[in-house]
Amino acid sequence: MSLAGSLSPLAGDRATGVGLPPPRPSPASGGGRWALWAPALPLALAYAAFFVAPLLMLFVVSFYTDEKLEGFGLNQWRRFLFDAFHWKVVGDTLLLGLKTVAATLVLGLPLALVYRAASPFWQRVLLFVVVMPLLTSVVVRTFAWIVILGREGLVNQLVLGLGLAADPLRLLQTEHGLVLSLTQIEMPLLLLPVLAVMSRIDPNLMDASASLGASPWRTLVRVILPLAAPGIAAGCLLVFASSTTAFISQSVIGGGRLVYLPAMIWQQAMVVANWPFAATAAVALLLSVSAVIAVIAYAGRVAGGRIHG
Amino acid sequence: MTARIPRRAALLGTATAFAVPGLARAQRRGGSVTSAIYPGAWEEAYREHVAPPLKRMHNIDLEMQPLFAVDQIAKFAASRGAPPFDCFVLDPGPRVTGIERGMFERFDAAKLSNRAALPSILVDDWGVGCAAQVVGIAYNPKKVPKPGGYADLFRDPWVSRLGITGFQTTFGTISLIEIAKVFGGSETDIEPALAELKKVLPKLAAVGAPAAMPGLFQQGQCDVMYTNTQTVTTLKDRGVDIEFAVPSTGASAFFTTLHIARGSENIDNAYKYIDVVVSRGVQDALQKAPYNFVPVNSGVTLGAGLPMRSLDEMARFNTHDWTRINPLRGPWIERFNREMAK
Repeated sequence: MSLAGSLSPLAGDRATGVGLPPPRPSPASGGGRWALWAPALPLALAYAAFFVAPLLMLFVVSFYTDEKLEGFGLNQWRRFLFDAFHWKVVGDTLLLGLKTVAATLVLGLPLALVYRAASPFWQRVLLFVVVMPLLTSVVVRTFAWIVILGREGLVNQLVLGLGLAADPLRLLQTEHGLVLSLTQIEMPLLLLPVLAVMSRIDPNLMDASASLGASPWRTLVRVILPLAAPGIAAGCLLVFASSTTAFISQSVIGGGRLVYLPAMIWQQAMVVANWPFAATAAVALLLSVSAVIAVIAYAGRVAGGRIHG
Repeated sequence: MTARIPRRAALLGTATAFAVPGLARAQRRGGSVTSAIYPGAWEEAYREHVAPPLKRMHNIDLEMQPLFAVDQIAKFAASRGAPPFDCFVLDPGPRVTGIERGMFERFDAAKLSNRAALPSILVDDWGVGCAAQVVGIAYNPKKVPKPGGYADLFRDPWVSRLGITGFQTTFGTISLIEIAKVFGGSETDIEPALAELKKVLPKLAAVGAPAAMPGLFQQGQCDVMYTNTQTVTTLKDRGVDIEFAVPSTGASAFFTTLHIARGSENIDNAYKYIDVVVSRGVQDALQKAPYNFVPVNSGVTLGAGLPMRSLDEMARFNTHDWTRINPLRGPWIERFNREMAK
């Protein structure tokens, strides 16, 4: 018997069978397994019908050779994979996601630290401020950035007013402008899981770290960040997935000179009506984004594992 | 004999007893028609000016599905024989696609009471025009002088204030074709336009998504762009400094058309809906602000902001053969992406 088991107040009773609730069915038994899975069945069936099946269809469509879906072959994949322009688009899409993740981390983590140290009242205020953008449509938030970043927008009025530049800065339709707007648009997706993890960190650990002689910086790097790693990884994952697929923001803020996979998929599916090639690009987006997400999740597990166990 | 009358009466009575509630229900319902409609201004305009007279005159409820033209084609194709709506509203490119793919019922214009008021160019075996669109150059008169034609857009002071869009839309496609023609290209050869654009690319004020262009103009991101008269009048009504210039090579025109979806179960109601849309009263109402549609009913007096005084004058405008353009559009979109990409 393990030490934990021997210290359990129920350990002695288990032997006598007195005062214990009826034993739960073993998860290994057939009936128990069914009872465990039954509540999830409706969702699982809906998931299979409305997500897994269309996804499989997407894979199948990508292997049609022509727009009329008449023959099978590898034409679309050859066209996609053996063209440097498509690889550039994939790279630009992933890079946009990584830059957005980096920017949200740089701006979001200090806010999360302020949140951790704040009183319950200010924590509620901060939480409201963080959640507030989610109450507005992403389309509205995106168009608001045109007003902010435009040639005659708020930023340029400020820059010209302060005499910091002679001509208006070009902020719209640049990658910098797009990353900036996506940082604001996606910030709640980073902060919500990070704040949830931060609020659960035991304050005594900071005191212990300080009493053992660690500087605040060392406490941050060696205690707080590793403890918050699962939340940070979850946030990064959400921000990355959302920003790489942010079709509206990429189109409206980025403009026609920044080509990303979601716009390419839309053009092929809706304007050109070439579903097989659109499906190929969609599968490429899915696979490439999933690969980066797997790396982020692994990094989160490694960073978290250092302190958890 | 006497016995037969009551039997007939009884039969009639029984039939009436079953039929009258049905008739009453049918009259009460009057049926419905589902039409695809462009999101935004079109949807609002039809809700305000088409649905009420359709209900009043024919007791038909208008249900609308907001979809862009390409989305309508894609949705119909995906529905595989069970049309998701009774009527399409399409620009010329998707219209040709719809005809080629057999998506429309044959159209009999004789069923329209307003047939005589429609120019013959607007009616064919597949549908009827419901609005005209005139494409040219829009500019901010407070920022740049009036451009003379498409070639001016590539010179100072216009080029550094120029906002362009690609081949995703009808107005974008025909504008780029017209630009290509100015520089030696043709309806099927847009290379000269792409070559000229590439030369001035670093100077351009914006290369935008079509839906973003009005916003970019309104915010001063660009002060000159190719667009249609409807966008110009709509922005003007909102107080934006914008004017429409007819290029020296002429304005371009195309018609937005209504079609009955193949397999529709509401064909009679669809005809009534189309008849109401092209009626004089509705076309007149749609022409007024804030919707600013270019009317197709010859009984409607054209608004002052339009570059023609009658629909007949539109015969002088540049038109395009979409059966030749459609097969090239996919490769053009890809070419535009490659040439414009940073």
